[in-house]
Amino acid sequence: MTLSLFDQFASPALLGIPLIAIALTFPWILLPSSTSRWLDNRLSTLQSWFLVRFTHQLLQPLNFGGHKWALVLTSLMVYIITLNLLGLLPYTFTPTTQLAMNLGLAVPLWLATVVLGLRNNPTNALGHLLPHATPTVLIPALIIIETISLFIRPLALGVRLTANLTAGHLLMQLIATAVFVLTSLMPPVAMITSVVLLLLTLLEMAVAMIQAYVFVLLLSLYLQENI
Amino acid sequence: MPTSPVKVRIPLTSFGHLITEVKKQLFGLEGPAAVKLTGLRKYFNSYTIQGRRNCVLATYSVIAVTAVAYFMHRQTKKEAQRDSTD
Repeated sequence: MTLSLFDQFASPALLGIPLIAIALTFPWILLPSSTSRWLDNRLSTLQSWFLVRFTHQLLQPLNFGGHKWALVLTSLMVYIITLNLLGLLPYTFTPTTQLAMNLGLAVPLWLATVVLGLRNNPTNALGHLLPHATPTVLIPALIIIETISLFIRPLALGVRLTANLTAGHLLMQLIATAVFVLTSLMPPVAMITSVVLLLLTLLEMAVAMIQAYVFVLLLSLYLQENI
Repeated sequence: MPTSPVKVRIPLTSFGHLITEVKKQLFGLEGPAAVKLTGLRKYFNSYTIQGRRNCVLATYSVIAVTAVAYFMHRQTKKEAQRDSTD
């Protein structure tokens, strides 16, 4: 069967049985859970240290009411970063390349921040739609612009993650195909291209981690405005 | 390397906030004190949080009323056209 460039983004199935549920729950199986021991093993200790440091850094700008979101934001970060890094393995499906999944994460969480803001502090939430000291003539225009920018936020969140990962995977596949084809035709060029592929893979690992962090950081910023 | 004159961390979530913060720090722009605002400006201004909220609500109300009037006018025109063809 001839594969196209975009077949790597198709939802995985084996003999007609969809494997998407396994793809989505795999990080849960991989990551160690805390035990009731006083001292865990090295991996669990390292994981706990990372989670505590990350949660502390993420929640520092938030007030006490925002600390309730610690579990949601930290688990979201770990989930996305694990899915992204696992997707870098060859022949592995990356669920975060699907726009449906990323919008499914972005829209409800963004909406929750907006509804929380309107419910708890409606004056501040509505007041943020008009910047301080705006000239009178520009008030209606800026309100409309800020409203549009408010509604574009979840789209931007979802599409940013999808586009970054999809583009990275496509680029890696293209360059890997080029290396494969050039190996028999021009081996020196193939060697240079394989060095480029190695550097690109390292870049994609960084992008995978950074995009997960950016997703969660932006959500915490939206929460900061509304809580 | 020249450093930015902007001292305080500016939130990147809004273009409007960015402009306002840069203006405040570069030009020292201060709004009038709330007690000095009189009349309609006391309730609709871009300096106090209540004023900003009222401006937002007024803008949304104008847009909503305009939209309702437009759709009602369109419906009335369709009914008038249907009556004239009958």
